[in-house]
Amino acid sequence: MIYADRQTKPKQAEPERKLGDDSGPSKPDIRRPAAPNELLKRMRNVDPDQAKKYRQRSGQ
Amino acid sequence: MNQYSILAGIDTEFGFTVEDRTVSDQADDSIALVRAYPGEGFLGWDYRSEFPRRDMRGFQVDRLAFDPEDAKFDEGRARPPAAEERSDRILPNGARFYNDHGHPEYATPECWTLDDLVAQDQLGEQVVVDAAEAFSKQIKRKVRVYKNNTDFHGASYGTHENFLIPRSIEFDKLALGLMPMLVARQVLVGAGKVGSESKGPVRYQISQRADFFVEPMNVETLYRRPVFNTRDEPHAAMEEWRRLHVICGDANMHPGCTRRKAGLIKLALLLVEQEKAPLWRIDDPVRSFQLVSRDVRGEGRVELEGANWTTPRNILESYLDAADHAELNDPEIIKIILECRALLANRASNWDEFWPYVDWAAKLWLLEQFAEAEGGWEESMMQSLDLNYHLLDVEEGLYAGLASSGYLRLPDIPPALISEAPNGSRAVARAVAVHKFSKSIKTASWEKVTFESAATSLDLPPNLWYEKSDCDVESIEALISRVNELK
Repeated sequence: MIYADRQTKPKQAEPERKLGDDSGPSKPDIRRPAAPNELLKRMRNVDPDQAKKYRQRSGQ
Repeated sequence: MNQYSILAGIDTEFGFTVEDRTVSDQADDSIALVRAYPGEGFLGWDYRSEFPRRDMRGFQVDRLAFDPEDAKFDEGRARPPAAEERSDRILPNGARFYNDHGHPEYATPECWTLDDLVAQDQLGEQVVVDAAEAFSKQIKRKVRVYKNNTDFHGASYGTHENFLIPRSIEFDKLALGLMPMLVARQVLVGAGKVGSESKGPVRYQISQRADFFVEPMNVETLYRRPVFNTRDEPHAAMEEWRRLHVICGDANMHPGCTRRKAGLIKLALLLVEQEKAPLWRIDDPVRSFQLVSRDVRGEGRVELEGANWTTPRNILESYLDAADHAELNDPEIIKIILECRALLANRASNWDEFWPYVDWAAKLWLLEQFAEAEGGWEESMMQSLDLNYHLLDVEEGLYAGLASSGYLRLPDIPPALISEAPNGSRAVARAVAVHKFSKSIKTASWEKVTFESAATSLDLPPNLWYEKSDCDVESIEALISRVNELK
């Protein structure tokens, strides 16, 4: 087995994050390049309530 | 015999909607959808080799748990006999297509290579769409098919990966060597999800499935789902083989993610087999899986036993580093290692060279584009866009639109043909049986085909190389004889 201790950090080194907290280091601008109009048009055609109406049986 | 190392398959339960029908109708509609499939195939399946209650830890549960909320949909419903409800068919490529818990499910044939696996997975999308279109014509209602794993209301349905490994690999080593990979790999292969039904509010997360895990490991799949599934059902000689049944992955639209998610598990398995897997003792795999899923902007946090924590990147890089000390002859795994190294670095420092390769990041990019153009992030709209990313419709689907726009970095792997079994796997012989001798088949499963007319069965050991030209014969007896010669 290869041990990986060098890559661990003390738990106390950072405030504990709770579920729901998706904050963190900032990223480069993720919005480049711009989406083409055709793609935006496709998104605008989506029914805003579609997910609200989408119900499925629980599977595996 | 074969430089590719581990036989693998992927089975996907698809979501679907039928115009003017509700979730209460879904179980019946799924049966009808599967039965509407217009292509050829053998109808039926031999369930005698299925043991979903058997646990790798050496016991069998009395029954599998079910979701009590979901069970309410079946109250008062007359259910057909099990075989009728499943409506199994085996397709000419050796795949299985059937109804599973109200979802059309496509299980790829067994594949030696990752490229074949991706090609067969993509073919599965077309199989379900073809069945849905035929069903739509029958009932004269619009039918939509989604390759995803969540309905945003608390229901999940799975995409499972299957890897055949020698039983000589001890369970404890398997679990210890795989669990860190299962928790960490989502950062490179997650499908992305807007919001959460059950674990506290979040704007966006990496994994579609993270919310639905409640135990580190168990044999369940319908309820109380685990990160590590312990089902012991090899679909091959029990004394020789295990099938690792991975249920914590997402349904991927991006074929590069499909290839990567299976490739990373293969890498971990090869390292476990050679006793070179990195050792990480995760304190609470469920919590860490969910922490990683919710840390979209940061690096993620995996809490370890003792007072330590680490990141999914560290975990994944430890597998990639360990590969330097292992004997790896599978050329696809070498490519996966190089790709993953680059992606892990790019996630931190070069986002534009990350998101076009990864479903969750590509979907996020798309949603951010819309939010900027329309003036904000409104959750119900974003969930509708999320859903439509997974819509299998070239005209309306958002992944389809994004892929055709040229923004994504996609591997050049076209979908397999329905007549095309994966190279060298036992599916080749099964496919010949279905294509040429379908009317004579009595029973069929992953590991065996029996015929009405032949005295012996066609047994399909998984570890042989089934050359297509060798199996392309004109009689059942010749097929059985050819396969026996391979043993």
